[in-house]
Amino acid sequence: MTRDWWKHLILILGVIIVIAPFYMMVSYSFKSPGEIDRGEGGFFGRQELMVDERCVKLRDPDRDDIAVAAGRFPGHSDSDIRDALLAEAQSDCSMRPVIFNYTKAFTEAPLLRYLLNGVIVTASIFFIQVIVALPAAYALAKLKFWGREAVFSLVLFCLLIPVHAIALPLYIMLAKLGLTNTYAALVVPWTISVFGIFLMRQFFMTVPDDLIDAARMDGMGEFTIVWRVMLPTAVPALLAFAIFSIVAHWNDYFWPRIVVTGNRDLFTPPLGLREFKGDGDGSFFGPMMATATVIVTPLIVAFLLAQKRFIEGITLNGMK
Amino acid sequence: MAGLSIENVTKRFGETEVLKGVSLDIADGEFVSLVGPSGCGKSTLLRIIAGLETQGAGSVRIGGTPVEDQRAADRNLSMVFQSYALYPHLTVGENIAVPLRMRRLNGVQRLPLVGGLMPGTRAVAREIGQHVADAATMLEIGHLLDRKPGQLSGGQRQRVALGRALVRDPAAFLLDEPLSNLDAKLRVQTRAEIAQLHRRLAATFVYVTHDQVEAMTMSDRIAVMMGGRILQCAPPDVVYEDPDRIEVAEFIGSPKINILPLEILPDGRLSLQDRALDLAVVEGARGVASLGLRPEALRLKSGDSPLRGRVVHSENLGSEMFVQIDVADLQERITLRATPEQRGALALGTPVALDFDLHKALIFDADGARIRRLRHLNAAASEVA
Ligand SMILES: Nc1ncnc2c1ncn2[C@@H]1O[C@H](COP(=O)(O)OP(=O)(O)OP(=O)(O)O)[C@@H](O)[C@H]1O
Ligand SMILES: [Mg+2]
Repeated sequence: MTRDWWKHLILILGVIIVIAPFYMMVSYSFKSPGEIDRGEGGFFGRQELMVDERCVKLRDPDRDDIAVAAGRFPGHSDSDIRDALLAEAQSDCSMRPVIFNYTKAFTEAPLLRYLLNGVIVTASIFFIQVIVALPAAYALAKLKFWGREAVFSLVLFCLLIPVHAIALPLYIMLAKLGLTNTYAALVVPWTISVFGIFLMRQFFMTVPDDLIDAARMDGMGEFTIVWRVMLPTAVPALLAFAIFSIVAHWNDYFWPRIVVTGNRDLFTPPLGLREFKGDGDGSFFGPMMATATVIVTPLIVAFLLAQKRFIEGITLNGMK
Repeated sequence: MAGLSIENVTKRFGETEVLKGVSLDIADGEFVSLVGPSGCGKSTLLRIIAGLETQGAGSVRIGGTPVEDQRAADRNLSMVFQSYALYPHLTVGENIAVPLRMRRLNGVQRLPLVGGLMPGTRAVAREIGQHVADAATMLEIGHLLDRKPGQLSGGQRQRVALGRALVRDPAAFLLDEPLSNLDAKLRVQTRAEIAQLHRRLAATFVYVTHDQVEAMTMSDRIAVMMGGRILQCAPPDVVYEDPDRIEVAEFIGSPKINILPLEILPDGRLSLQDRALDLAVVEGARGVASLGLRPEALRLKSGDSPLRGRVVHSENLGSEMFVQIDVADLQERITLRATPEQRGALALGTPVALDFDLHKALIFDADGARIRRLRHLNAAASEVA
């Protein structure tokens, strides 16, 4: 045990390196701007009441407000009333930093809308990817047809093409079709996943031929076989693919940034983070980190729920 | 139910010719076993009949109808695979129900949830459930219906695979070594069950097996396949007692038949170990030939004999005893069947002389084809058919 201490040391160092950004993110989402600037307050911050200057500014009383409030403060001069109203605004606008950050995250930008967009886009992509990849992988793994090897080589070749290399032509095509600033622009380019085809094909290779022949004898057609025999046996592999696909597209900033210009109704969660990019005063780190925390939480929860099956899927041993 | 007719079917995988013109007619309700050494093309032939593989040439008919243009699913055949090929994600009960569900329910009715709401689904589902229960009871897997195949032993899986094939009422059953993974006791039991089932259903069975005992005990006819051809297809006793070719004689029978080199003298008389026998061929080429003698055709003899040797090994099976005898000029040992009472005379190393019944001698020419027209010399010249 003592001889292994250095292994643990290395592992712990690795863990710290991986965890540190998350730690900062969550911690910042709890703290007030002052604490963030000064780097104090530990993990949770001191959670002292803070005043939201913008909120106070918005409620800066003008003549009408003072006139309206005059009834409440009989016998006071206008400047007294003004001071009283300001004090009222101050106390209304003061809150704990954590509440400030998270309310800002949801009110400053329509974060729920962005999350919904994220779900729609990610789910559509994954769903169509599966519909395309499973039959393709089945054909490549189990059906004999002329040119099968060539087609599979093409699939492998496509794995080598980086997304960024073809982003511009893709954008131009979508623009010509008038599809920019639509859900279609966010979904369509990703619906054929060569990685998915490749992964599922490798998994289907391990499914015994006799199983497919038995299904044929039992009266199933090829498509029925794909959905009723191959799909259920491939659940672990599919789950692995789901994680890759969902993480990639949920967190994608690059592509939505390109095809969604202006229309905030189509923003995906990562685009939402831009709403807080420092407007000079840099005081929005708290809400920004709160937004980031909200965005990554669904993924982390999903991963924890699927963890066991995900690991099975990676080792590709769901059968036999 | 229907008969099968296979005509001149050939098949090649790349360069290797696996089937070289196989013809076989199977009557409606007949039980035919396909036996042969590993790799001789039994499974391939079965798969061609099933429609899972396309033949190079030749035709397959089921009940008189050519089936070249029918998919496996449409040929209405049931098959048990050499590997069990059970659906790993379905329970035993669901596995057995699949062929019925696929044929009796339409696509919408098979959908989960929605299907249950369709008119008629319930009644059909109940009927299917009844068939599954019957099949499970017959195969004694009723208590396993809710398990997944992964939780079963090899023998149990094999019975589930049988159940899935038997639950339907197909034109014919194709079974590819369905008992190969059962232990000896279960194998004997299931063998009897399949034979009974065949009698009860009066269905056509094509049964591939390595196991001669299975083939001999269950079949109406045995087709012996070798090197991509069917060498002989005949009832079990005929294949055993009256084989057409030396390969058939060697393949069928355990322990193996004794093959001794023989010479056909110019006058047609046969000579064994330079001693003329009282047997002659009527026609055909002279020169080398072979004599086949089943272990039970040999008997001990005192006195002079062309076959003399020493006991080198003996196996006592209780009811009978097989003794291997090393004969001086022969490369292979001769196996003799004896009764355990003869043990005393057959101790290791004992010199023995062997005699045999000429009527039980099987003569094969240099090519391995059987020579049936023979003349017995010492009795009044008679011909053995
Ligand atoms: N898909 C295939 N591609 C190439 N060769 C094949 C294929 N299927 C079978 N073969 C070859 O065909 C020959 C016959 O195979 P088959 O499976 O019919 O043998 P078998 O008689 O069933 O043997 P066993 O008793 O071992 O099951 C074998 O030599 C095998 O290697
Ligand atoms: Mg086989």
